[in-house]
Amino acid sequence: MKLQFELPEIEAIVFKNNVGKGEHILYCVPFDFHEEKRVSGYMVFTEKKIYKILVDTLLATYEFGKLSGFSVEVMLGVCGFYAKVDGNSELLCQFISGRNLARYSVMVNACEKIASGELELVENDEPESYCPKCGRPFVKNTRICPFCQSKLEVYKKLFAMTKGLRFMMLFPLIVTAVALVIRFIVPFFQKAAINDYITNSDRPDNYMTHFLLIIAAIVTFDLISRILNVIKSRLSAIAGNRFTRMMRTLLFEKIQMLSMSSISQKSSGDLMGRINSDVSVVQDFITNQLPNYFSYILSFVVALVLLLALNPLMCLFVFVPIPLVVFVIFKLRGSMHKKIIHRWRKRQKINRYLQDVINGIRVVKSFGNEEKEIKSYVDNNEEYFDRDMDTCMYFDTLFPVLSFVLKIGSYMILSMGNYLLFGGAMTVGELNQFTTYTNIAYEPLMQITQIPRVISNFITSLSKVLEIMEEEPDIYDANMPRHNKIKGDVSIKNVYFGYDSYNPVLKDVSVEVKSGEMIGIVGHSGCGKTTLINMLMRLYDPNEGSISVDGVDLRDMSQESLRSQIGVVLQETHLFSGSVRDNIRYAKPYATNAEVIAAARAANAHDFIMNLPEGYNTMVGEKGFSLSGGERQRIAIARALIHDPRILILDEATAALDTETEKLIQDAINKMTVGRTTFAIAHRLSTLRNADKILVLDHGQVKEYGTHGELLDKKGIYYKLVMAQARAALGGNAEE
Amino acid sequence: MAEEIKNKQTEQEENDIFAKRRSVDLTPQNARFIRSEGGLISLELKNGNGEKESFERVVPVRAFPITDPDAYISIREPDTREGGKGAEIGMIEKLSDFDKETSELILEELDRRYFTPVIEKIYNVKEKFGYMYFDVLTSSGKVSFVMNNPSSNIRVLEDKRSLIYDIDGNCFEIPEVDKMDKASFKKIEIYL
Repeated sequence: MKLQFELPEIEAIVFKNNVGKGEHILYCVPFDFHEEKRVSGYMVFTEKKIYKILVDTLLATYEFGKLSGFSVEVMLGVCGFYAKVDGNSELLCQFISGRNLARYSVMVNACEKIASGELELVENDEPESYCPKCGRPFVKNTRICPFCQSKLEVYKKLFAMTKGLRFMMLFPLIVTAVALVIRFIVPFFQKAAINDYITNSDRPDNYMTHFLLIIAAIVTFDLISRILNVIKSRLSAIAGNRFTRMMRTLLFEKIQMLSMSSISQKSSGDLMGRINSDVSVVQDFITNQLPNYFSYILSFVVALVLLLALNPLMCLFVFVPIPLVVFVIFKLRGSMHKKIIHRWRKRQKINRYLQDVINGIRVVKSFGNEEKEIKSYVDNNEEYFDRDMDTCMYFDTLFPVLSFVLKIGSYMILSMGNYLLFGGAMTVGELNQFTTYTNIAYEPLMQITQIPRVISNFITSLSKVLEIMEEEPDIYDANMPRHNKIKGDVSIKNVYFGYDSYNPVLKDVSVEVKSGEMIGIVGHSGCGKTTLINMLMRLYDPNEGSISVDGVDLRDMSQESLRSQIGVVLQETHLFSGSVRDNIRYAKPYATNAEVIAAARAANAHDFIMNLPEGYNTMVGEKGFSLSGGERQRIAIARALIHDPRILILDEATAALDTETEKLIQDAINKMTVGRTTFAIAHRLSTLRNADKILVLDHGQVKEYGTHGELLDKKGIYYKLVMAQARAALGGNAEE
Repeated sequence: MAEEIKNKQTEQEENDIFAKRRSVDLTPQNARFIRSEGGLISLELKNGNGEKESFERVVPVRAFPITDPDAYISIREPDTREGGKGAEIGMIEKLSDFDKETSELILEELDRRYFTPVIEKIYNVKEKFGYMYFDVLTSSGKVSFVMNNPSSNIRVLEDKRSLIYDIDGNCFEIPEVDKMDKASFKKIEIYL
């Protein structure tokens, strides 16, 4: 991140005139908001002072000697950089969030250092998210600026994706060209047939044979062209399906590879839409539309050339309606595109709504809000209906009108042709040939007018697909990732982390855990417990500091190897559609039946599984047998145990269960934690009875860390929590 | 000394866990807002027992910034306290209960913290890779901003106001889209 901006000329002069002796610029960062206006000013930090410069004025100076308590506050659309001047809070400068927020968060650190007399410069290697060339933001999580990136690149990328399918995609184009040639040859024969035999009164002797030959030739050509078309369609289908299969696989792979932070920014409905419908649109364009339009354009051009060669004068009439049609299309292109996009957005809206409400159907029902949701759906549907009707009406009126306008050309040619015919300047055969070519020329014209619409559809979908494809996972394996067998020593050193770097969730967390220890993590909700656990699984990387297992930084380990040695049980258990066995084997697909049973026994799940109608083969998940929360939880525990993980993570594994089930699960957990490094989050402290150490987190900081006994002696937060829960338990008993 | 600080810290955390500060209704009778020396807001608060408490700096936060900007204003300690978010001191139900000077003081600070310029004219919208690049004229001058995902970043409210959020989370407002000039309306129409 850039912290030393270059002062522009005027600002540099202002600074020069005001700066004291022996002061140097340590940092210079822009601020872009002042008195409710967007501006472009600079905050210059030297060893002694902060200078606030707006173009040619020095707005303020602050002496570090008097400053303390630096902070950044974020509000809607604007942020402030605050500090205390002689103990009184003051707003030093304001800036628009986004571009500079992270920068000022770093400056808070830097200023504290300067104020305490440390002159070592703070560095930050967080990448800028704005294009250095044009100042516009990069596409999220990429270094791609859509404005500075060339269009050619996009098409190149698309071309690269068609690798292995190119011949199949090229073939339809070749067939199209051949079919076209045949189509243009047939009218020649027709002309011969009409002129030499049908309208000719003195026919040659063997006219019947000649005539039949001509008919046979016409039929053969027609046959060939149809056979070629069959081959073309088949190859298109193969190429199209392969392309879609590949695109969908790539997309799905990408979505699976992306880190949690980028996935959580998109709705699942949107992702599904991109995999399903957008890919289909791209496929349709490449395999169907592209050869079609190629053929349309080619036949239009060839027809025109032939018409020109046959009769240049009459050919002029062909052109009469074209400028009008092209003009209308050109004029309406924008609004056609808009209508399509608008309709697409409405459909997306319905998709998202469905996704949302169908997933939350339990909530809907339990609050008796079915009527309200039906009404919302009807409204949404109504909106889409209106949009769709509007679009259909528009296109269904526009195109017939346009095609009538085009026909005017044909009518003129017919009149002109007949005039020439009656004058003897043209034969019936020639007129037939001419009108046939005219129709060939006009036919694609209607389609050609749709090219902008088709291309815009295609580009929209393609860019949505590429958007996902180009997103860089922000967590990736090191160059030579290590595949260690984990022993289980975990060391967390000075970890700082925030989902946004200016808003740290974990602050300076340091914990040393020995192999086989069980650590209970305690703290109120939002204090960073789950975040810490996500970091242990390396769903996120720390902003600062490091987490290492057996002395190896997580970033140097292969993610696959790491996660294959971690077992996780979460509060919300998601079982996939499949049998109990499949679910237990999820982490180790080739586990034997004996292993599955052993894991289930260890999880206290064996007995209830045996009571299911089809034992381990019973289907569970969305469409399967419905299990209780405790049963699902025990299957999840078995799932976590099956690959014999060295590190276990339990995130509120027993929070939502009744006492009876909790005992069963607690027992299972006690068994499973033996000899494994375990991190357990729990609200109920009784769950943590067996923990070797307790870690108390508060506002992202480690407040207490020690054994159960130590912390009780300390009479700190943990002591209070234990007492509070004990009181609550007693109180509860007393009421009974 | 270190011990003392530590004790003080634990004390504060205990308060955090068990006895969160009790928020009170702030009225002209119990609360006096004064412009602080640094140009921000200080508060003198009388509690039920007539004891005075003073805060060097307080921060107003709107509970309903969009639908009811001048009602239910939470007065909080600033966010700078070691380890977390500022606690609520109290809530002002209606800003109009206070005298003009006070409400202006609070409004001034609120304006500083909520910046939603009104879009008056849309010069240009370009769309690339699902990102929309806007060049607009707002109540605070010419602004260029970038938005993506219009379906989730444009909110049309029941009172016809449209709120547009750019990719940094900055908010822009259009009071009534269909009352904009035709050229501007055409540019934004399809995103609504």
